[in-house]
Amino acid sequence: MLTSIFRGGRKANLGILRTILAEMRKNYKQFFFTYYTLFWVLILPLGNGLLYYFMYLPFTKTNISFEWLGHILNVDIIGFTLIGQLAYTFFLSTLLAGAIFDWERAQGTFEMMLLSPANRLAILLGNTFGASIRYLWLLIGTVFFFSFSFNIGILVNDFVAVFLSLLLSFLALLTFGLTLAAFSIYSRRGGLIAIACQEPVAYVSGLVVPQNALPQTLAQAGYLIPLTIGLIALRLSILGGKLLQDVQLLLVSLLIMIAVYVVLAHFLIKIAEKSAKTKGTLALF
Amino acid sequence: MEDIICKDLTRVYESSKRKRVFGEKIVRSVTAVDHLNLKVEEGELFGLLGPNGAGKTTTVKMLCTLLLPTSGYAEVRGLDVVKDANQVRRIVNMVAGGERMIYYRLTGRENLEYFAELYDVPKQRVKSRVSNLLELVGLKDRADDEVEKYSKGMKQRLQIARGLVNDPQVLFLDEPTIGLDVDIAKDIRQFVRKRLVDEQGKTVLLTTHYMAEAEEICDRVGFLFKGKLVALGTPSELSRMLGKFITLELVVQGATDQSVKGLSTFRDIEVVSVENVEYMGVSAFKIILHVTSDELTPQTVMHFEKSGAKVVSLNVRKPNLEDAYIHLSRRQES
Repeated sequence: MLTSIFRGGRKANLGILRTILAEMRKNYKQFFFTYYTLFWVLILPLGNGLLYYFMYLPFTKTNISFEWLGHILNVDIIGFTLIGQLAYTFFLSTLLAGAIFDWERAQGTFEMMLLSPANRLAILLGNTFGASIRYLWLLIGTVFFFSFSFNIGILVNDFVAVFLSLLLSFLALLTFGLTLAAFSIYSRRGGLIAIACQEPVAYVSGLVVPQNALPQTLAQAGYLIPLTIGLIALRLSILGGKLLQDVQLLLVSLLIMIAVYVVLAHFLIKIAEKSAKTKGTLALF
Repeated sequence: MEDIICKDLTRVYESSKRKRVFGEKIVRSVTAVDHLNLKVEEGELFGLLGPNGAGKTTTVKMLCTLLLPTSGYAEVRGLDVVKDANQVRRIVNMVAGGERMIYYRLTGRENLEYFAELYDVPKQRVKSRVSNLLELVGLKDRADDEVEKYSKGMKQRLQIARGLVNDPQVLFLDEPTIGLDVDIAKDIRQFVRKRLVDEQGKTVLLTTHYMAEAEEICDRVGFLFKGKLVALGTPSELSRMLGKFITLELVVQGATDQSVKGLSTFRDIEVVSVENVEYMGVSAFKIILHVTSDELTPQTVMHFEKSGAKVVSLNVRKPNLEDAYIHLSRRQES
């Protein structure tokens, strides 16, 4: 399936990797060195960290605990909000990839991308990668800063579990962002989607409210979002010292999500391109 | 051999709007290109002319696969623009006027390298091709400056370089000189004619509403009016379409609106345009007329002098492409 997705037509087997790397490079140079980005990656995560901390704090004074399939964790509030913030900000950055296409469309460069025979999914992937990577190193810096400044109860017993939780959460969020970016292209409302998704996702994913405290339907809806599952896996493996077998169900779920989102993004981008060419909405001129 | 063929190519845009938030949806259809039949030869510089909204850009977009035709058929170098879209994209490129379609925070070189990667230009050739293109469009010295520091003309030249990054066999230029200074526009026209067409043998389809531009460089031109091709030929053939007509350009001081309007009562005189100008510091009318014979020239002058006006400048010339275009569009409108 993946081979057919990236083949993009019999004779259009262009350098997928080159396209992805070119997109990432462009994305980094075009969007990174701005005050806006610096604000976003430096100031906002710190402010948000405080917000999440105080939103989660009241729950530590109640009987509501962090529990998943019988695994109960004592909530380390700083560790919880930090891991939550790490994953959530990454999620936000992938969300923004969709919004970037709005800018590309208005600038006329989106049309130029589609004028080329480059693989569409590779363009999308490069853009989403670029959007996420440019935040990542500063996020890591933030995490390190917090780790040294505050006493976080890290308890790791299985590094494979931690590694896989991190990797699969990253990929699942990336492919989720890919799908949203494809949908943004289709709907031409990337910015709006990015804004509309932020708060609901923060709630149902367990970032600011423990999942156990949510109404059951809402909590179940949260499991459709990779951020929710990724957060549980990360918290269990990094803060709870859980082993691979304890989180394997979560990791398999993330793997399934990755596959589903890649296929979804593939079809969505095709539909989006065809629709734009039929309606004549590829550009604003 | 024909590089571009359009057969009954049609594009209808549909837009819907509600009068109120939950009101009835009103669907409006606009035929932008209406059964266009056209052939452009290999190595030809073909001009597609027409006013705003004539369907020029829509035609170009359909030919370079950015827009799907509603009906009809088009091919580029024997490839169907719908069924073989991916192959078509490898051999065509498009340059549009204006300052969009490039990345402002990237340098000129980075912009070209990015697009070269999208076109999968062989890795070992990217650097040399980009350098050659930058030299070709005269941006070598500013290649490593960010595009936001470029002037309008430089951005447009970079656009042209971008359009050549995949060494296209067929190039679409959509109003490439719009908004540019006269001398820069002339440079670009010469570049397209001499370097791209005469030296490199590329097929170029140029859309413009500057008649002089088309007359200067195009091998053949087609007039597009409300999506329909209303005339086709070389610029001189189309100019000769006016046949017996002679163009009179008059500058008249002291004329009244009534005396200008009075011209239309003459048989065999067609008023092409009237505009307010300043002549030697005094306001005047510049009037362009098509007349059927030389004999009407003194009659026209007399007409103004009778009404107390003074003809301060008179120019009699053969009709050009612009005259032919205005004549044809008037005929279409009527």
